[in-house]
Amino acid sequence: MAQAHRTPQPRAAPSQPRAFKLVLLGSGSVGKSSLALRYVKNDFKNILPTVGCAFFTKVVDVGTASLKLEIWDTAGQEKYHSVCHLYFRGANAALLVYDITRKDSFLKAQQWLKDLEKELHPEEVLVMLVGNKTDLSEEREVTFQEGKEFAESQKLLFMETSAKLNYQVSEVFSAVAQELLQRDDREGQAPQGDAAVALNEGPARQAKCCAH
Amino acid sequence: KRYVRKGVPLEHRARVWMALSGAQAQMDQNPGYYHRLLQGERNPRLEDAIRTDLNRTFPDNVKFRKTTEPCLQKTLYNVLLAYGHHNQGVGYCQGMNFIAGYLILITNNEEESFWLLDALVGRILPDYYSPAMLGLKTDQEVLGELVRAKLPAVGALMERLGVLWTLVVSRWFICLFVDVLPVETVLRIWDCLFNEGSKIIFRVALTLIKQHQEFILEATSIPDICDKFKQITKGSFVMECHTFMQKIFSEPGSLSMATVAKLRESCRARLLAQG
Repeated sequence: MAQAHRTPQPRAAPSQPRAFKLVLLGSGSVGKSSLALRYVKNDFKNILPTVGCAFFTKVVDVGTASLKLEIWDTAGQEKYHSVCHLYFRGANAALLVYDITRKDSFLKAQQWLKDLEKELHPEEVLVMLVGNKTDLSEEREVTFQEGKEFAESQKLLFMETSAKLNYQVSEVFSAVAQELLQRDDREGQAPQGDAAVALNEGPARQAKCCAH
Repeated sequence: KRYVRKGVPLEHRARVWMALSGAQAQMDQNPGYYHRLLQGERNPRLEDAIRTDLNRTFPDNVKFRKTTEPCLQKTLYNVLLAYGHHNQGVGYCQGMNFIAGYLILITNNEEESFWLLDALVGRILPDYYSPAMLGLKTDQEVLGELVRAKLPAVGALMERLGVLWTLVVSRWFICLFVDVLPVETVLRIWDCLFNEGSKIIFRVALTLIKQHQEFILEATSIPDICDKFKQITKGSFVMECHTFMQKIFSEPGSLSMATVAKLRESCRARLLAQG
């Protein structure tokens, strides 16, 4: 490809995939780190509780395009909220994870959604609700239907997974990646632009006409 | 001080830590107190929080496996539960499980582990584990100030990239380097921590950063920085604990408790003003 006369593009060149920031949120021990580990390294093991924040990256191919997911894994214990809300900043997507065998973690995910909306413009961040640990379905406390209904009522994406059995884990991240790319193409602007600018957009972003 | 800095032999460690930290004195003055804490009414939320982490504390250590007899999970549970009842302002905070776990492995004694945990969380460290974690946030800011003063190039890079210190060093402070640095190195650091107080943490952090300054300066993004801060805690530099311990007292230069106290005061005020 000719390098010399390329017109400046608002987003990175094709050789450098666009980067998106994804945060993993949810109560302690629901499997946030396990989902990340399964997805990034295809591994499952007994993971130590996340203290503070961990960080992974993975390049995802979606059709012909590819993008780089920066996955921010956060501590689940409530105490860490005051430290961890700093990590929300600039997030393009969030996975709200709960454990299908623990009702309290499902309720907590709903609380996280409220916190998230306080920090970020609801239009600004793509949220997927994830019910993890389907391998323990005999201890299930939250039905698939409950998860789905809540997600629909809040216009969230929704999936159930098992990080242990590697069930639908890559599907979760692919679905998010695909949606992020679509949104990004619709908006025709770099995702890592100044958040303050993006916040001013409001209804104008309904425009879907510009084909890329 | 000189002897402790050279490392306490493993067989004497429990005794030396107990004496240096004042834990022994506390234990002697409060006979039966630990056991009463476990006999009293239990807080179910506290129990749940602790239980969630039992299987996730040193899962690779045979002694902490559920199937082992006697299993240290029960000991760990007791120490954390007693502490949560003793210091209700703190309760249980993730990270304390790792610290208590090490204490149990070193002392082989539940009650001593409790009093050592009390020495660390209640006296030696500022409020790292309280609900607002203000002490933790403060110390991370203090580290930022120290880096700016002593290693300005790194300070400038962190500022330019907009990296929050909490992102890269939370674990260092919260877990006191457990699971960050090699075991023997951590124990040597703790020898000094019990003897000289919390400023040792800054010495270790500054040494790690200074030693790898050039490497860190290659970073061009926040993900780069995160990755590099993970890598600098590995390798031969931290494995050779004797040299490492010498370096933490020479490399960062002078660091008096008065300096740390002053910085803590100003950083804390700044954080409180920010709300």
